Amino acid sequence: MVKKWRQQMKRWMAEKLELPADIMMDLPRITMVGHIHIYIENHRGLLAFSDKELRLLLRNGQLVVRGEQFVIKTILPEEILLEGKISQVVYIDE
Amino acid sequence: MKNEWVDTLAGSVRVKARGKGIERLINACVRQGIAVWNVKKHSADTATFFIKLSDVKRLRHVARQSECKLSFVGRTGLPFFWRQAWRNSGFWLGLLLFIAIVFLLSNIVWKIEIKGAAPETEHQIARELKRMGVERGVFQFLLDDPETLQKKLTERVPDITWVGVEWKGTSLHFRVVEKEIPEPKKPIPPRHLVAKKEAVIADLFVEEGQPLVSVNDYVQKGQLLVSGIIGAEGRTKFVPASGKVFGETWYKSTVVLPLETTFHVLTGKFTERHYVGIGRLLIPVWGWKKPVFAHTIVETEKRPFRFWKWDLPLYYERITIREAEEVKRRYTWEEAFAEAKEIARRELRAKLPEEAAIRSEKVLHQAKENGKVRVELHYEVIENIAVPQPIVQGD
Repeated sequence: MVKKWRQQMKRWMAEKLELPADIMMDLPRITMVGHIHIYIENHRGLLAFSDKELRLLLRNGQLVVRGEQFVIKTILPEEILLEGKISQVVYIDE
Repeated sequence: MKNEWVDTLAGSVRVKARGKGIERLINACVRQGIAVWNVKKHSADTATFFIKLSDVKRLRHVARQSECKLSFVGRTGLPFFWRQAWRNSGFWLGLLLFIAIVFLLSNIVWKIEIKGAAPETEHQIARELKRMGVERGVFQFLLDDPETLQKKLTERVPDITWVGVEWKGTSLHFRVVEKEIPEPKKPIPPRHLVAKKEAVIADLFVEEGQPLVSVNDYVQKGQLLVSGIIGAEGRTKFVPASGKVFGETWYKSTVVLPLETTFHVLTGKFTERHYVGIGRLLIPVWGWKKPVFAHTIVETEKRPFRFWKWDLPLYYERITIREAEEVKRRYTWEEAFAEAKEIARRELRAKLPEEAAIRSEKVLHQAKENGKVRVELHYEVIENIAVPQPIVQGD
């Protein structure tokens, strides 16, 4: 109850005070360059990786990237840069 | 983002991980601060990725707690390159030695060839060359350049007219032209002898032809002295007139000489410096002593280094610093006059042919003018005034 209320509070602040949502609400920020690069900030760790699929843990939920010939170019505690032919980016809520 | 250049310098390792939980291993690595990049999955249970060489120990630590087996499949970067280079050092040393030997041998005189000279002259040239330091087995860059060699040789060996000096690879070629005995004279066409300049005839010596003047005659320039037409009227014959006609001629010369002159004289002391140069850069090799000479005259000599048969952009430069001394010469008025006369006489002698003789000398005028002396002299000279003039036959 408190958690939900806090979440709503944050959303309201993000909207009214025009603060960036990714900082306020700890959401991932995803940058894509065409379908060849994807850059994800604010992830919580690698769940699964193969050359066709990348599964990342988020604060609430998971992010699944599908495609072909995947290579993790860089991985840092909260950032990841993936290269390959990306076909889908899917959010899975908990 | 990663700076790959830094990784290349520091060295990086490609790791192959096999087993379950590769994702967990990577997560653990990232949390430990191990930089991981270029992660590729090859099958369900194998993946490869790169880490820094310096992170290998920490990776082992992390891997112990995972279910993966690690193996190292590739190494790149400078540390590995050096290790490889060190392993091949024998080869590099050999190559270096080879280049050094070829370089050394390319700069040595291997052959001296003298062509076109008679055996006697050839021997003489060879001896002279040896005295100049040109021998088989000496370094090329220590020798004089071909032009200087040529000049020195022609000066020192009297029997040669011309010598061509040329480098052909590591051999020095000399092409010699010897002085030849003049060929027998061709028949001279009929000619007169005329006066070269105005004179009073002092002596006559006619080999052939009809003399038209006698001793003590005054002749103008271009006047006929000995005719090439001989024989009585109607039965004339043309001959090449020859002989010598000595006449008394007159010369005037003016000499101005300052009382005080300063000039530099070499004392014979010198220091040499040796350099190796590339372009404008000079790298000192030998001789760093700073000369304590007050006045110096500096000579530089430049010779290229060679490799195989090419001139390298590298060159050897020798700088010779010679000590010079400033000498002040002072004349008294009397000495100055005497010296001026001497100079005038010397100058005249240089102008006159060898058989001419100065008969008398008279001072026309001598003056002292601000620190200089001025002498005007008049000379009487006995010289051969006859010059040939061809007879134009016809009509």
